[in-house]
Amino acid sequence: MDCVDAIVIGSGPGGAFAAYGLRGKRVLVLDVGRDAPTDARLSGNVYHLRRTRDDLFPELIGEEFESLHNLHNRPISLKLKSPFMSFVVRDWRRLTPVVSKTFEGVISLAKGGLANAWGAGVYRFTDRDLRDFPISVEDLQPFYDELTSHIGVSGANDDLTPYFAHDEALLPPLALSPLFSELFARYGQARADFARERTFLGRPRLAVLTQPWNGRAAYQYENLEFFQPHIPAIYTPAYTIDQLRSEGAITYLSGRLVERFHERDGQVRVYARNLDTGEAEVWCGRKLCIAAGTLNTARIVLQSAAEYDKRLPVLDNPMACIPFFSLGRIGAGLAANDSSLAQLNWIVDDLDSGETIQGTLYGATGPLRSDVLFTLPLSFRANLTLLKHVAPAAGLLMLFYPGIETPQSYVRLRSSGELEVEFAPTGGNPAIERKIIRLLRRIGYLSHPALIERPGMGQALHYAGVLPMRAEPGPFETHADGRLSGTAHVHIVDGACFSRLPSKNLTFTIMANALRIGRRLAHELS
Amino acid sequence: MNTAVPSLAEEALYLHHSLFGGTPEPVIIERYAAANRKLFPAEAGSALLARIVSRGLDVEAVEFALRRRGAGSELTRRIQVLSYLVEARARYQHYFVSTEPGRGGAVVELAAAVIRSAWKLAKGEYLVRRHGLR
Repeated sequence: MDCVDAIVIGSGPGGAFAAYGLRGKRVLVLDVGRDAPTDARLSGNVYHLRRTRDDLFPELIGEEFESLHNLHNRPISLKLKSPFMSFVVRDWRRLTPVVSKTFEGVISLAKGGLANAWGAGVYRFTDRDLRDFPISVEDLQPFYDELTSHIGVSGANDDLTPYFAHDEALLPPLALSPLFSELFARYGQARADFARERTFLGRPRLAVLTQPWNGRAAYQYENLEFFQPHIPAIYTPAYTIDQLRSEGAITYLSGRLVERFHERDGQVRVYARNLDTGEAEVWCGRKLCIAAGTLNTARIVLQSAAEYDKRLPVLDNPMACIPFFSLGRIGAGLAANDSSLAQLNWIVDDLDSGETIQGTLYGATGPLRSDVLFTLPLSFRANLTLLKHVAPAAGLLMLFYPGIETPQSYVRLRSSGELEVEFAPTGGNPAIERKIIRLLRRIGYLSHPALIERPGMGQALHYAGVLPMRAEPGPFETHADGRLSGTAHVHIVDGACFSRLPSKNLTFTIMANALRIGRRLAHELS
Repeated sequence: MNTAVPSLAEEALYLHHSLFGGTPEPVIIERYAAANRKLFPAEAGSALLARIVSRGLDVEAVEFALRRRGAGSELTRRIQVLSYLVEARARYQHYFVSTEPGRGGAVVELAAAVIRSAWKLAKGEYLVRRHGLR
């Protein structure tokens, strides 16, 4: 059997950058690889299109009524259900079934993974974030830098620099919409009050281009993020996979669902199902990098060990969504540069817990109005009026708490092949939320604790920690180089190997860690 | 009194007339029927909507009163289907999006919406009790 240097399972942030790090070797990427529809064509500002194109039914609702998903299915993120975006979560329940009473998340089998629909937040972990990892910032720093150069990161060195790290290579930040431009200016005037509360605001670090970069165009403020995949300015790992394919650096096979692996004679055999033919396939590599997404990585590892009793820990960020309003902007109308990307970040440095709590502020102009119409408290037509005039004056602070390891949060493989996923309920930190609302009021924005919504566990889509890196790993844990304990050539390169989950978006660190491990394996293979 | 279950097309006509005024374009009726057939195949027709249509009741008022009681989700969902379908059409954008700044007008419209909502709630409560709707 022909044996490649390395097999990479998955094409999300971990898989793409493990493969990128392995350039120069014979690399085979096996992926289910659902791709964006080729007819996904929306061009121009979505609100201009809505006024000028007689009918946007195919683009906004879909011939299969995809946008009505939440009316007849389990609710999913509004960003995952529009007709051109629904490929991100297509088929996962059928191909990788999950049973759960508490899990409200999704799995992606798309080329590029869940990062096809991400908020593009790219945050470097600090040593505080990495405190349970057997690696430090020094280990990741060169890979963060290389990634910044490769994908292009916009942002600013501002009050959040102590939390996000200083970065000279940042592109200029995105233009703020009028609501957030005003909010940020008011924060500037009240900075001392915020600082006394150990609370800081600043510009987000986004994998979104504000100027042309590596052949990709700058962001055009078209507010298409809920409807249009693969906007060139917004990075997705699918771009890196496509680049590696076009360079001939990898062989990429889609339509393969990997089920298990087996080490023999210094090689790794990977057993996959060809989804087109239904046939079983066996592939051989000298090294194996698993980046199937945290939950499916756990499934593959447990299936390979035929382990049906073991409960592995699992982490996700508990969330709280805090809406707020500017009375002064009611009736302001939509601005040309409104965007559904992150506008600002909000950090609470919580001395009591020793944790940093991170929030992201968004405008309310991204989704369809019909998505949220009946969450408002008035009659149908009155709600329409409310949405029409209040949307440009409304913002949403999505607050992320660190993931908490508890015995009630676990994944286990059933002998039937279903993955059991459960999360312990969490109530957030009401004291921190009250403090945020008090500070918002201090600078002129209305909110109230009764308006806070708490998405169910799994909805942050930041799954991690099932096979954590340890200095001295035990069974179903990993070494500092991602190598799975008890194996010689199998490495975990996605969020599964995280030792803890801070409140920051983990994607940039998945990329950096995968690149680190990929490079190391390339060196070993040499 | 005729309480036969209305066809999906009749539902679309009645809902549209009540909520947006006038007769919808044929494509809206077709899509409304297709969406309900595809997404809710087990629900041949809505008995609640049949009573509303046959008695010519104010659908916005009834839906609001039932929603406040945590009931009538089937009616709410049917209105939401129609809302999605019209939101994708340019001629309905003025219902959903304000592009012309106008604080004074917006405040007046919002005040009117709150008053309208209170009126619809009172009317809906009366209709729900009067006609035994749930």
